[in-house]
Amino acid sequence: MADKAWAGTTYGGSKMHRYLVTTLRYIDVRLLYGFAAIFVVPVCLVLNESRKTAYRYFRDRHQYGRCKAMWTTYVNHCKFAQVVIDKFAMYAGKTFDVKVEGLEHFNALANGEEGFLHLSSHIGNYEIAGYTLGSDKKTIQAVVYAFEKASVMQNRNNMFSKTNVSMITLKEDMSHLFEIDQAICKGDIISFPTDRCMGQTKVVEALFMGAKAKFPQGPFSVATMRSLNVLAVNVMKTGLTQYTIYVTPLVYDKSQPRKVQMQQLIAAYTAELERQLKQYPTQWYNFYDFWN
Amino acid sequence: MEQLVLTLKEQIIETLNLEEITPDDIENDAPLFGDGLGLDSIDALELIVILDKYYGIKLGSPAEAKEIFTSINTIADYVVKNRTK
Repeated sequence: MADKAWAGTTYGGSKMHRYLVTTLRYIDVRLLYGFAAIFVVPVCLVLNESRKTAYRYFRDRHQYGRCKAMWTTYVNHCKFAQVVIDKFAMYAGKTFDVKVEGLEHFNALANGEEGFLHLSSHIGNYEIAGYTLGSDKKTIQAVVYAFEKASVMQNRNNMFSKTNVSMITLKEDMSHLFEIDQAICKGDIISFPTDRCMGQTKVVEALFMGAKAKFPQGPFSVATMRSLNVLAVNVMKTGLTQYTIYVTPLVYDKSQPRKVQMQQLIAAYTAELERQLKQYPTQWYNFYDFWN
Repeated sequence: MEQLVLTLKEQIIETLNLEEITPDDIENDAPLFGDGLGLDSIDALELIVILDKYYGIKLGSPAEAKEIFTSINTIADYVVKNRTK
């Protein structure tokens, strides 16, 4: 968790990740939630700069008072600890109750011939259930950062080997672009993280939660260059061991000039993100200065 | 060839929304990426789509693309030799 930038990796070392997976095979996640809330989160709040960006997020973006912002900063970090624990619990083979809202939108596109995009964000816990929106006809090609820790990539590989999800890793050379283009031409589903500008020089500014913020141009360019349908897929924690997947179509006018299409798509994406954050304000996990 | 070079420049300007640039601003031999026109990896994907959409060319590998996308002249040369429409 950093102040101005994001390292592009899951917090902790490989040994810690392996230990977590092993532990979670035998104990209930709720025990670790409690341990994290009492012993880990307070220490993290003292040591990490993330408390400042989270506090500013609640003060400036949600207009909370000082006391409420401090409390929700703590709750936000506890929730973050829980979703990380849940992620490793999933790697350990545990399952969660998952509800889907808007499944009909996914099914309508999944049963068609054309490829389409999933846009995800670092809110809730996309990884735990976003890829469970499977399709017999289409493979989900998940675009992921190449900087992620080897242990996390290995766990993802193990988990995805049982599903129809493949990973496309963003690389320095242009090989990932060919994989994305080929996947689109094959009619697959491309899953993009859409709220971080890692490794991308081109960004778009959009009004988001009352202030201008930068988003990577890539996902919006890819969608509009081939007039693809786009879904926002956000997976929010709605109970101790429950998640709800919200599938929302992002509508843009494909007959408009390309620039207008991109503006419409970005506006639809940020509106959906705002809708989720107003409902689940403590599930925002971009722990860096997102609006500057 | 001159006409093709001009068309390619116009297609690149339109597709990449390079609003403040005219075809005359793009030198035929200048690098498209890095210090030249300053294109990035997503722009490379746009170029891949331009070749597919307008010229029926499907590129096979990143290494091949890197060579082809060196400059407007290298793209034009490749299009002349490989176009299917």
